[in-house]
Amino acid sequence: MLEPFWFVPDWPPALGELVAFGTLLLAGLIGGEGLHRLLSLPRITGYVLAGIALGPECLGVVRAPLLDESRLIVDLALGLIMFELGARFDAAWFARNRWLFIAALGESLGAFFAIYAGLLWLGYTPLLAGCAAAVGTATSPAVVLLVAHEQRASGQITERMLLFTAVNCATAFVALMLFLPLLHLEHRADWRSALLHPMYLLFGAALLGYLACRLMLWLARWLGKREDRQFVLLVAAVILLVGLARAVEVTVVVALLSFGMLARNLDRDHVLVPLQFGYAGQLLFVVLFVITGASLDFSLLGPAAAVAAAFIVLRFLGKAAAILAFARLSGLRPGGAGLLSVALLPMSGLAVIMVWDTAVLFPSFGMELAALVLSAVAILELFGPLATQAALRLAGEAGAEPPK
Amino acid sequence: MNDMTFKASTGPSMGVELELQLVRAHDYDLAHEAGDLLVRLGKRKLKGEVKPEITQSMIELNTSVHLRHAGLRAELEEMREAVAADAGMLNLRVSGGGAHPFHDWNDRRIYQTERFEAFLERYGYLAKQFTVFGQHVHLGCPDGDAAVYLVHVLTRYVPHFIALSAASPFYQGRDTSFQSSRLTAISAFPLAGHMPFVPDWEAFVGYFRSMQEYGVAASMKDFYWDIRPKPEYGTVEIRVFDTPLSVARAAQLAAYAQAIAAWHLAERPRQPAQEAYLVNGFNRFEACRFGYRGEMIDAWERRKKMIGEDILDTVAMVMPHARHLECAEALAQLAGDVRRDHCDADWLRARLSQAGSLADVVRAASDRWAAAD
Repeated sequence: MLEPFWFVPDWPPALGELVAFGTLLLAGLIGGEGLHRLLSLPRITGYVLAGIALGPECLGVVRAPLLDESRLIVDLALGLIMFELGARFDAAWFARNRWLFIAALGESLGAFFAIYAGLLWLGYTPLLAGCAAAVGTATSPAVVLLVAHEQRASGQITERMLLFTAVNCATAFVALMLFLPLLHLEHRADWRSALLHPMYLLFGAALLGYLACRLMLWLARWLGKREDRQFVLLVAAVILLVGLARAVEVTVVVALLSFGMLARNLDRDHVLVPLQFGYAGQLLFVVLFVITGASLDFSLLGPAAAVAAAFIVLRFLGKAAAILAFARLSGLRPGGAGLLSVALLPMSGLAVIMVWDTAVLFPSFGMELAALVLSAVAILELFGPLATQAALRLAGEAGAEPPK
Repeated sequence: MNDMTFKASTGPSMGVELELQLVRAHDYDLAHEAGDLLVRLGKRKLKGEVKPEITQSMIELNTSVHLRHAGLRAELEEMREAVAADAGMLNLRVSGGGAHPFHDWNDRRIYQTERFEAFLERYGYLAKQFTVFGQHVHLGCPDGDAAVYLVHVLTRYVPHFIALSAASPFYQGRDTSFQSSRLTAISAFPLAGHMPFVPDWEAFVGYFRSMQEYGVAASMKDFYWDIRPKPEYGTVEIRVFDTPLSVARAAQLAAYAQAIAAWHLAERPRQPAQEAYLVNGFNRFEACRFGYRGEMIDAWERRKKMIGEDILDTVAMVMPHARHLECAEALAQLAGDVRRDHCDADWLRARLSQAGSLADVVRAASDRWAAAD
């Protein structure tokens, strides 16, 4: 006797990760485009809001396993961004305009010391204040790059925003590494590992970046000047670099950043074609920001709101003071300093990564750092893109929307 | 502006206007930073002027008035260095060439001044497509009648000027197969072309007044002719040159035009002939398309000749005047390039086949502009 075959699955069906991932992408797309059309907000803000809505604290569509599975895409998106940002680090420009380098370094140090001093004054320990200040030094590479891209921005404020971001990201990591020995000693490691570990993290990453750069230049020469092939090459190099950096436990972001910087400045025969993000890039960036939104932690915002506000204000004042001080000498037009300072406001995923990298090594300290910094990140995640967009538009550097 | 009194110039003077490309260092597309650069350049004390042009991607160098090639060349060199120094502070590159090889005209931003706003309003996409880069040479004339005469007889040399300066083989990302694609963008304007065949200055002023009454043109600026009189400067302005890739070439081109003008004004070897305008379209096309290797029709002698050959004959003919004007060597260099079949358009094409991308072509062109040669 034949058994009837019951082909309808149990109700409700078990929806897999693919459904969740598709929902994530769709929500990001609709959120970004909808807010852009309704309120002329940066699309990034819409992606982030969609992420918050889907995140564990609201609808719960995006949960921890999905966050893990989309890791490859997030890494790749961040990798491309760090590479492109590194590629905007133009050593030749600094050689022609020394004051610009001093201004860029001043901007980083201004933010660092303003936050550091402010937090000390608020009663935080030097170690916590220092690490928080290091995290706050960096501007979000993803936000500035993508807002500039979306606005088709081009001009001095745009160029300097990207250049300063490259410098302040590098400075932020170096600063964080300088505090690492102190953290180690506080946690009773011996002085040798306290000294060697940060050097390993930093120089190991830079070495990997250098090797990736050599590989890329060598293969790009062989491939020739074809944008499509070189894009695949870059994606491969980025994934490989992230994987290797993680395998040997060096700082992934530093590896990517040095990869971009070296590729730009060692490409003497100009074998690389300028990177175009294209459709593939768009896809990656929607995922990146929806996931970032879903991982934002607003639970700490209540008690820490005042500190977060102080953090943001100090950071802005530190950056603005240094930019203003060197504006004329570095050849910035009058009125440009204010706009550049506003454009450099965003904080984002990079700050989260810096915090979690620290938390992996020192869990309890990491939690304290997270409580201090991540509320500010959550606020700037929402308002940073707006600030950058407004600054670029006021600077007259935003282009027209591409024809539909 | 509408005072049509012709201001007399003394001697065979000349001046140059040069439109230059501003490009970004990271991808060699056109930049939008003319404003920032001009603010910096405004603080320098230069004999000539640096002015905004229609888009944020362009600046224009205007030299002062010169009688000799050497002085003109030195002033251009001085301006080139000033621009290079200030552009370097802003990480901009400067390049010659008649057109940017791959920019998207949709991306161009019009410089925010009233005249240009009106220009955009009136001409729409033509205004953005007008992002082409030319060299204008002004030649001093003693009076309006001489200016009218000179415009008519210089028309014969339009193919020379085009072929010698041609530096826009690429446009919107493609090899156009033309040596100069720039002039095609200008031909689209309603008042492009040439001056009507009028016998003297009085007749020309009559023509201009009636165009004003019809409402076709408000001022002389509305005429985009290849060669036009400029009464307030006391000059005839030749506008068909592409901006060459080097300052040296720009000065040589001006000297060549100066020598031809001096010859004609002194000896009047030809009388104006309406036939010159009958063959002008053909000559102009041949020069844009084929450069030295194109053919031109001499309306006076009624025969066809290779443009390159005619340039060499003309250089020989004007040599006595060139020696007098101390520009014999500059003309000899131009003639040498014609004999060797060297021109900027071919140089740009060679960079593409050597380096593989149009961004490399722009980089090479900006390196060449930056090097004093």
